[in-house]
Amino acid sequence: MRVNPYPMPDLMAALNQSELKAQQAALEISTGKSVNMPSDDPTAAALLVENNDQATINASYLSDLTAINGQLSAADSTLNSVQTALQQALSLGVEGGNGTLSDSNRAAIVAQLQDIQSQVLSLANTSYQGNYLFSGTASGTAPYAVDGTAPSGVAYRGNDGINQVSVGNGYQLGINQPGSQLFSAAGNSVFQALNDLITAVGSNTGVADAVTELNSAANYLSVQSVFYGNALNQVQSQTTYLNAAKLQIAQQQNSLGAADLSFAATDLSSAQTDTQAALEAISKFSGNSLFDYLR
Amino acid sequence: MSGLFGTLSVAISGLAVSQQELETSSNNVANANTTGYSREVDDTEAGAPIVINGLTVGTGVVLEKIESLRNPILEIQLNQTTQQQSSLNAQLTQLQQLQTQFASSASGIGADISNFFSSLQQLAPNPSSLELRQSVLTAAGNLATDFNTAASSLGTQQSNLNLTVQQSVGEINSLTSEIAGVGQQIASLQNAHEDASTLVDQQTNLIRQLSGLIDVQVIQTGNGGIDLATSNGTALVTGAQSSVLTTETGTDGNAQIFANGHDITSSISGGSLAGTIQIRDEEIPNVLGQLDQLATGLSNAVNAANVQGFDLNGSAGGNIFSPPPTGTTGTAATMKVAITDPSLIAASSDGTAGSNGNLSNLSAVATASVVAGQTPINFYSNLVFQVGNATSNTSGDADAATAILQQLQDQRGSISGVSIDEEAANIVQFQTAYQASARVITTIDSLLADAVNLGIETAVQ
Repeated sequence: MRVNPYPMPDLMAALNQSELKAQQAALEISTGKSVNMPSDDPTAAALLVENNDQATINASYLSDLTAINGQLSAADSTLNSVQTALQQALSLGVEGGNGTLSDSNRAAIVAQLQDIQSQVLSLANTSYQGNYLFSGTASGTAPYAVDGTAPSGVAYRGNDGINQVSVGNGYQLGINQPGSQLFSAAGNSVFQALNDLITAVGSNTGVADAVTELNSAANYLSVQSVFYGNALNQVQSQTTYLNAAKLQIAQQQNSLGAADLSFAATDLSSAQTDTQAALEAISKFSGNSLFDYLR
Repeated sequence: MSGLFGTLSVAISGLAVSQQELETSSNNVANANTTGYSREVDDTEAGAPIVINGLTVGTGVVLEKIESLRNPILEIQLNQTTQQQSSLNAQLTQLQQLQTQFASSASGIGADISNFFSSLQQLAPNPSSLELRQSVLTAAGNLATDFNTAASSLGTQQSNLNLTVQQSVGEINSLTSEIAGVGQQIASLQNAHEDASTLVDQQTNLIRQLSGLIDVQVIQTGNGGIDLATSNGTALVTGAQSSVLTTETGTDGNAQIFANGHDITSSISGGSLAGTIQIRDEEIPNVLGQLDQLATGLSNAVNAANVQGFDLNGSAGGNIFSPPPTGTTGTAATMKVAITDPSLIAASSDGTAGSNGNLSNLSAVATASVVAGQTPINFYSNLVFQVGNATSNTSGDADAATAILQQLQDQRGSISGVSIDEEAANIVQFQTAYQASARVITTIDSLLADAVNLGIETAVQ
């Protein structure tokens, strides 16, 4: 059978192929990616889009958790300060109920109680990064204003709104308690109780009842405040969970699209060997023919 | 006994034929690198014998014809495979360009979508922050811009292909005109019973070039002539006449191909022209259409969520993205963020500045089936898969076609290719035969001298 006397096109095609393989391997090594174009691995390319989305979502949840942590911690420590003040008020109240006190002594206690009242008002109006912590969703408005006409001495200017933030797939976390639930709930108002205690000590009547009222309000506040401790715990455990998820997502990205450098290096080296071999083979076709031998 | 003169004429015929054979070999060697050349062999036969005095004697050698060795079936296969391969290569080049739009998972439209929803998510803990709100608008702007860029690139690619179509048609016309001219020359040579092999090779070569452009079929007419037509019957060359193809701009702004007043654009099924048209009229519009779908679905869903809430000033929310045009086409190219004031993002559900209640509606768009029953990211990742898959498949098909083409060319080479070694051996052979015939003539010459000068010693001068 007569063979094709011009193998050169075939040899050139083979050379081209091995050079192409070498280029592919070199690209993989230099970019560190095995999927540089969707056609390299269409399924992986599509999955990488999804993976990037998951990584982005995960990062935004983690960022939110940091922001929320700041808000919750600020609120939590403010409430601790309020409890401390209320405990001081309670001891003052007990002292004020002592029948042996002189008028000026009682007046002094009233003054101290009024200071505590101001302090609690100020604490209730705490803001964090420009937003009031205890106004519900009306975070641009201070929750409590002094109101001489109100029995509790203050008027609540906020609302009852609670903001929820998504911190995981289908996982919503409430991030605030409105002041109306903490400090001025009907029947359990810290402000009402403080005002009542001041009146009681000042007039030396019903001090014991006023102390009981304040004690009850302080306990109520304490129970409501548990919200913040719980939320902080959830923030912490969700952060841990999401950090683990972050690693997994990164690993998945690696397995989908990262170049296996040792394989790529081997591919490059063998492609270069093939290229060399092809070049040498082609050079052997030095154009010798029978004519050179017929003399 | 035919006499010495008879023997002389036999020897001369040998000489002449050997000389012709040498010339044929020499012609082969000279054309060893000519594209499409088919090697020639001399078809010799013994001369018709004559009967003299009851004895049958030979009359030397006769050159019947000089034959070009080629296989017509192989030529047909080569043409068909060239058409397929050219179409696939044309498609592959365009697809490789197209897929660069979708190359990175960390940037581009997919990443922009993720970043947009991420910016909404990060607004949630502090919904009244103007800085965080501005980030949302910036992310929305990046998304719209990347849609615009992608649509624009695809549009540019498409209009460049119109130039390619026009160029290809020009080349086709010039080739068919050349083929018709060569055909005419072949016909007149064959009518004069002369050998038209070289011209046939030339014509074959031109037809092969034409196959690289369009799907052409060779139809044998009588007297060795050929007509050319596309596979759906559009005439390209009829005898000595070539048909001219024209291009006209259609209503969609694309160049349509006309033959004799008929639009043949969609019926072209081979050659680079078919590949170019496939990409221009099918693939690119498909991808553009999907981008438009995605842009429309996203814009509408985000806008619908925003109008459910209240902005920072307590007013009802409006559109975040400019509303898509009716009919969806062109959304990707014209997508814009409709607001510049970050306070207009309607995060609030109760009218207060600090409420984030409506953000959950906006964020829900990311996981809702807002584009053809899929979430925005799913739809986009499917598009990436489609583009990558089409490119990868076309690449595989093009490689396969190239391999087949190479094999066919090898076969053609084994039949028609000139082997220098073979010609060298032949030349030695013909040279020896020539020398032998010459020797015979020399011998006869001296015999004739003897005969003429019977008995008298003479030297032949």
